[in-house]
Amino acid sequence: MTTEPTAVIHDIGYRHYDGVRLGRGRAALALGVQSLRGVFGLGRTIRAKIMPLLLVAIMLMPTVVSVGVMALANQFVMPYPNYAVFMQAVIAIFLAAQSPYLVAPDLRFRVLPLYLSRPLTVTDYVLAKLAALAVALFGLLAVPLTIEYVGELLVDLPGPPHTAEYLGALGGSVLYAVLLASLGIALASLTPRRGLGVAVVIAFYMFTAAVSGIFAGVLISSGRDDLSGWALLLNPFFLVDYAQSALFGTTPVNTESAPPGVASCLILLAVVALAVTGVLLRYRKAAS
Amino acid sequence: MTASATHCFATEGLTKRFPRVTALDNLTVAAGTGVTGLVGANGAGKSTLIKILLGLLSPTSGRATVLGLDTATQGLEIRRAVGYMPEHDCLPPDMSATEFVVHMAQMSGLPRTAARERAADTLRHVGLDEERYRPMGGYSTGMRQRVKLAQALVHDPKLVFLDEPTNGLDPQGRDDMLALIRRIGTEFGISVLVTSHLLGELERVCDHVIVIDGGRLLRSSAIREFTRAEQTIAVEVEDGQQRLAERLSAGGETVSVQGRLLTVQVAADDPERTYDAVRDAVCDLGLSLLRLEQRRGRIEDVFKEPVA
Repeated sequence: MTTEPTAVIHDIGYRHYDGVRLGRGRAALALGVQSLRGVFGLGRTIRAKIMPLLLVAIMLMPTVVSVGVMALANQFVMPYPNYAVFMQAVIAIFLAAQSPYLVAPDLRFRVLPLYLSRPLTVTDYVLAKLAALAVALFGLLAVPLTIEYVGELLVDLPGPPHTAEYLGALGGSVLYAVLLASLGIALASLTPRRGLGVAVVIAFYMFTAAVSGIFAGVLISSGRDDLSGWALLLNPFFLVDYAQSALFGTTPVNTESAPPGVASCLILLAVVALAVTGVLLRYRKAAS
Repeated sequence: MTASATHCFATEGLTKRFPRVTALDNLTVAAGTGVTGLVGANGAGKSTLIKILLGLLSPTSGRATVLGLDTATQGLEIRRAVGYMPEHDCLPPDMSATEFVVHMAQMSGLPRTAARERAADTLRHVGLDEERYRPMGGYSTGMRQRVKLAQALVHDPKLVFLDEPTNGLDPQGRDDMLALIRRIGTEFGISVLVTSHLLGELERVCDHVIVIDGGRLLRSSAIREFTRAEQTIAVEVEDGQQRLAERLSAGGETVSVQGRLLTVQVAADDPERTYDAVRDAVCDLGLSLLRLEQRRGRIEDVFKEPVA
């Protein structure tokens, strides 16, 4: 007679999966969420966390100072709608540092064919990446603005709170997020090398900022002040600033000789459409 | 059940022309369940065929079905039900195998918790242990191939396409991978289409073999027919291969001399007679026997035969 074994290890072998299978949309959402986490270094190495966290900290600094000034000196110093323009260099560095992360490794290490061998289309993939970057950029702008607004309400400055300006700035943040994400992804996906992608995006920002500044300067010095606003549209940040002013009634940073609001909005729309279409076409071609 | 539903995949007059080359040329072939080998030299059109079957590439003409679904219109449904292991490297080096396979399971539509369970299960089945938590950048080729296989299986597909899974593996790794492929086809109950440029290694694991060359079908038959046709033994002796050849021919065997090797056709009706004849002849002539082996069917041999 054999003794009864007290514990047994069963090799249950291969088990089939008969649980739920979610649709394309949920897969794209999962890709977007994973990408968004990755933009801020979550779920990545310590080294990958340094840059985004540092930039987020820098973005919060003016807010902290502004709330401090409001509390101590009872003065309102930083208008919400101009925040992004003041911080444009930091935002541009964030864009340059993080957009290549979203697209370059999948091209370089050829992960893209694995995505496409699943029930996910090229469009789903590109839109998930764009959405992740746009949400990240919106957060980067909206969080400091919101902290400042809450600070303003708590300090309770004399006069009514700048609610309309705050809301207008939030609307503008959506515009910034969409435009910058489209440009960032379009530029970063030109190269499978992440370092090169960073250089391309930052070079694009510096080029447009410099050229728009020079053009505007030349136009003003040659007496064509009325055209200087058009030159500023070359800089993506001034472009959104003008569009924000047209859509939400905020005051732009460069008040003199602003181009018609409709023009800024249409140019903004055209740039986004062009960038997104370009990315989609390139990825479609790469997929086949 | 329709005729196409019993097939894993079937093609009809499938042609794919690229600007410079014709990758597939009027290919009509079908494969049932089990393990199917797809053999062809590099550039024979294997990878193109897989891309068409996945619905990622549209053929110039002809049509194909996978699991009864049309590749031209039902690509998404096909990709939901099949797994794909590409030939090339496809692993981001800074992710761990676990993270990567979980992510790929989610991309196939599995909820996060289910994806985690399936990833752990699948990685265990392909034989990846503690190293699955380390970044994949430091993996050996063998480990990388296992992860690539795991991501193709993680969503429990009905059919997997494995493109050159033994590429770059050492002999031990090759044996392990082939054994794993056999298990996938039998124990896991997942049909497999595996490509290779070596017929020899596929004959060990496949139920059915398809040979293509230059995009055209050379042969498609059950593995038994292949091995029957390939029943030859190679004999190598130190000196006097001519004498041995004459002796065996005189005894009624079919012998051909290929350089230093004698190839002897094994008698289909009585295989043991051939082996005995070789043994006796070598012994009687007092020759030093260097090699006596069953010839693995090589793709070149299939190419010499007329199309079946």
